[in-house]
This record gives sequence, structure tokens and C-alpha cells, in this order.
Amino acid sequence: MSKEKKSSGKPRNGFVEFMTLLWRTKKVAFFGMVVLILFILVAIFADFIAPQKMENGLLSSHLMEAAQAPSLKHPLGTDAMGVDLLSYMIYGARTSVILGVSCTILSTLISVIIGVASAVIGGKFDLFLQRFIDAWQCIPGMLIMLILMTMLGAGMGSMIVVLSVPGGIGGSRMIRSAAISVKDSGYCNMSKMLGGKNLWRMIHHVLPNILPLVLMNLANSLGGTIMMEATLNFLGFGVNVGTPSWGYILTSQGRSKMYTAPWIGLAPGLAITIMVFAAAMFGDGVRDILDPRLKGGMGSFSKEKIGKIAKKYMASKKAQETA
Amino acid sequence: MGKYVIKRVLLLIPTMLLVCVIVFALMRMIPGSAVEQVVYNYKQNGMVITYEEAEAKLGLDKPAVVQFFIWIGGLLRGDMGKCLFRGDTVWSVISAQMPITLELGVMTLLLTIIISIPLGLICAAHPDSPADIIIRTLAIVLASVPVFWIGTMVLVYPAVWWGFSIPLTYVSIFDNFFANMRMFLVPAIVGAITGAGNNIRAVRTMTLEVMRQDYVRTAWAKGAKESRVMYQHAFRNALIPVITLFGGAAAGILGGNVVIENMFNIPGIGQQLVTALSNRDYPLAQGCTVIMAIFVMIVNLVVDLAYKWCDPRVNLE
Repeated sequence: MSKEKKSSGKPRNGFVEFMTLLWRTKKVAFFGMVVLILFILVAIFADFIAPQKMENGLLSSHLMEAAQAPSLKHPLGTDAMGVDLLSYMIYGARTSVILGVSCTILSTLISVIIGVASAVIGGKFDLFLQRFIDAWQCIPGMLIMLILMTMLGAGMGSMIVVLSVPGGIGGSRMIRSAAISVKDSGYCNMSKMLGGKNLWRMIHHVLPNILPLVLMNLANSLGGTIMMEATLNFLGFGVNVGTPSWGYILTSQGRSKMYTAPWIGLAPGLAITIMVFAAAMFGDGVRDILDPRLKGGMGSFSKEKIGKIAKKYMASKKAQETA
Repeated sequence: MGKYVIKRVLLLIPTMLLVCVIVFALMRMIPGSAVEQVVYNYKQNGMVITYEEAEAKLGLDKPAVVQFFIWIGGLLRGDMGKCLFRGDTVWSVISAQMPITLELGVMTLLLTIIISIPLGLICAAHPDSPADIIIRTLAIVLASVPVFWIGTMVLVYPAVWWGFSIPLTYVSIFDNFFANMRMFLVPAIVGAITGAGNNIRAVRTMTLEVMRQDYVRTAWAKGAKESRVMYQHAFRNALIPVITLFGGAAAGILGGNVVIENMFNIPGIGQQLVTALSNRDYPLAQGCTVIMAIFVMIVNLVVDLAYKWCDPRVNLE
């Protein structure tokens, strides 16, 4: 704990130090990160790992082997169309990882651009933009996603837009309030006085100083994205039929075959849960390290610590009195 | 305070107008026109209608700006237009379905509060104890499970194992209270359990933040009893951010239960909206969205005022 306190909130020497800090103080978060990296590796090397390969972007079905229970040939069983479920899951990891990574990055990017621009430019621009975001946030997020999904149609491309744009606009609030406090600081005003343009100040002064918040935002929105993808698939607004997706198979077959072939629902449900769980653990750990407010547990404020100090004090007083 | 309330209420008007613009623009950008659907429906019923006639009938032949002002004018008079395919007015559909969603939402919210406040407080009272770690891990697991997966399991397995099936036909609470509860209790529990995960953790963080304040340390140092420090100093002050937390949750109850409604066949406004969207029923979808947005705005306002009322230090202006 003492090590954690010394490095005041920010990773000083970059990536490696951050990772050691994560490993030393937040074992569970580190474990979550390892799980996420495993999923990413599976997604990248899906073509080599999967027992049944994709042909022309499709997993061919063998109706003779439909809905088989797990066996040596098919470790996770087969689905209602006779596709090997393990292969489906491996290719589904690819869909989830592509969506998860690209949406997190895109939504954070949108948040940063809107938030920083709104804070630095200020004035009328800020006022109107913030009123627009006020109104935007009154419309429930799920509805905006459904409307956008209807607008853009099914498919990966529209999924990426739909899962990142609403979240990005909503998340800009937090970035903006952080950017405003940086913008009003001495060095930023000095830069303005020396003739620094808005864009210069955004990139060279504001952005580096809100970087911890941006990283936190990145780490924290991953789990939500994966969950939302599954939920949209459940409501019938998802990827194209044929694109392997955990949310899709859980909805289309896992639910209807819940009793006759429970393994079809079990694998994707567990996979989504594990991935979201790992992402949440990782996000929590990153937030604990980067947000100084949340650090250090109870520290000197715990009951035991205060009790000890009080006892010491009483003992010394007694010693004084007797002496 | 009075001045502040008036200011906030007046500020609602431009926001509401902007919401209307956003909703209208979003709806008009949806491809696949309702006109073709109407022509098709007429053909199905053995009647003939040309494309232009159908367009004029729906009021879609005018420019979008004119349509917008017609719609806004209607809204101000409390007239949201007619559904394209059902023959009812939009308001009659919404007013019939909003109470159902509200009932489900309120039940879910109450259960969430009942679950998450005590558990969150237990965690905060004994940070890093075994109980804390178990509850927190469980909370994150619950927040990570897709709600429709749990929901389906709840629908299927009890029916198979014990012959207990959740009724999936809606009964009004005024007709038969017990039949209504039989239908709503299970969806509400499923929603509350999956929603409680994040709230338990939020309550814990908020309480811990209060417990790190100087006055709590002073209370300990003065030798106040544990129960007194916890209830009088820590928990009471922690309730302030917790109110905001659940206020935010309350704002979402009208639009946030789409999945549960869909799964348990509850004819609420969320499910209606999904159907309206896939049918391209603009007036109905617009009406539902605007009603939800107005609800969010009003609840947010009430929460802000409650926050100010609880904590006089807060300066909202």
C-alpha cells in the first residue's frame, strides 16, 4: 500500500511502471487484463485455432450433426444447424473483440474531441453544444441506439457507429469538466497570452493533462460495449446473419433450445459474462490507480488506526501522570 | 430556492424543443418509408391506393420543416397524431401502456434499492473484509451477466423442473391484484438483481468517501459508539449522493426496461417503441420517445431539487 501512495496517481515512467503497479497492487485487475489479452489473441488467431474453418466468411452447417451434445469431436457440442460450437465461439470472439476495441477507441475519441473543444473554445459554441448534449441525454440511450440501428441497418459497420456515438457524446461531459479546470490553469493562460491558438493549447496543454481520465474512460467502457452488443442482438438489431456473434447465437438458438440443448446457450452466455467481468475488473483497477480520490483504502481514517493512536495517547498521558 | 425552481422549469422549454428537433430528425433519417407499407397494406385488403395518395394521407407530402411544425403544434395542444397502422391516436396507445411500464419500473427500482443499499453499507462498514470481497465480487458478476440470458433461464428451468411457469398474459392491477403481481414480480426481481450489481458498488464507494471525512474521524476519536458513528455521521451523509444515484435510475425506468418487457411479454411502452420502429410508424415512435424524454427531464429536475433540499451546502446556480 505504501508503494502505491508514493507514486502520486499518475504513471510516471509510462507503460511498464503502470503494469508493475497494476501487478503489485491490483492482482485481480491484472488477471482481468490477462483474460482480455487471451480473448484478443483468440480473436487474432481464430483461423488457426478453430477446429472448423470459415469458408468464404461463413461456417458451413452439417445438418446431420445438428444439436449434438459436447463430445470429443465437438468439445462444446454443435448448434441447431450442425456448426461446431467451439469454432463458432472462437470466431465470435473475433466479432466481440473488433466491436469492443473499435467502439471503445471511437467513443473515447468522440468524447475527447467534443469535451476538449467545448472547454477550450468556450463561449457561444460551448453553450449551444452543451444545450444540445443536455437534450440528447434526455432521450434514453437504448432508444437512440435502436433508432440509429434502424437507420443504418444491420451489420458490423453500423454496430460500431451505434455503440460508440451515443456513448461518446454522453461521456464528453466528464472530459469537458476536467478540461475546463486545466484550461483555467496558469500555464494554459500563459500559452494563450503568448499567442497559442486553440488547437495548439488543446493538443499540447489540455490533452496531456487529462490523459489519466481518458485512459480511465477507455478501460471502463469496454465491458459496457460488449454487453450492449449482445443486448442489441437480443432485440433483433444486430450483426448480419452469418457473422458469428455470441449475442446472436445466445438469442437465436440458446434461448429456444434452452431445455433441449442447454449447451448452446451456456457457452456464449458464459463467454459474454467472463469477458464483461474481466473488462470490469481491469477498468476498476485502472480507475483505482489513476484516480487519486479513490486510493489507499481507509488509511489513517480507519477505526482501528484511530483507536491505536488514542490508546498510545492515553498511555503516554498515564505515564506522565505517574511520573 | 423559489427563484431557482422557476428558472429550472423555464429552462426545460428550450431543452424540450431541442429534444423534439432531435427526435424528429432521427426519425426522418430512417430509410424505408412508411408510405410503401401503407400501399402494401391497402393491397393486402383488396383496395387500391396510389403512392401519392398514401403520401398525402399520411401528411408526408409536405416539406419536412412544415411537417415538424405541424407535429409541434399538435404536441402543444396535446394531440400527437394518429398511429399509421392501428387507427388509434398515439396518445391513447401511450396512455394505455405507460402505466404498465411505470409499474414494472417502480417495482424494479424499489427492489434494487432494497437489495443494494444494505449490501453496499455492509461493504462500506467493513472494507476489505471477507464479506466485502464476496459481496463485491458477486456484484460485478451480476452486472456482467446478460439480463436476457438469466431471464430465459428463469423462464425455462422452473417450468421444467417444478412446473412453475410465469404467466405471460397481462392482467391489469385493478382487475386482479394477485394475478398482476404473479406476472410482474419475477421480471422485477430479474431486473433488480442484474441492476443491483453496479449500484452496490456505487453505494459502497460513496459511503467510503464519507467515512474518510474529518468529522467521522473526529467522531471515532471522541469515542462515539460504532453504531452512532455509522448511522449518525457516516450513513446519513452518504445518503445524499445515494439519492442522486437512484434518482438517475428513476429517470431511466420508462426507457430502460425494453429487454425485460420484450422477454416477459409485458405490453409496455418500450416494447411498443421497438415494434413502432420496425413498422416505421413515425408518429407512434416519435410520441413514445418524446414522452420518455419529458419523463427523464422532469425526474432529473425533481432529483436536483431534492438534492438541494437534502444538502443546503449545494449551490446549484
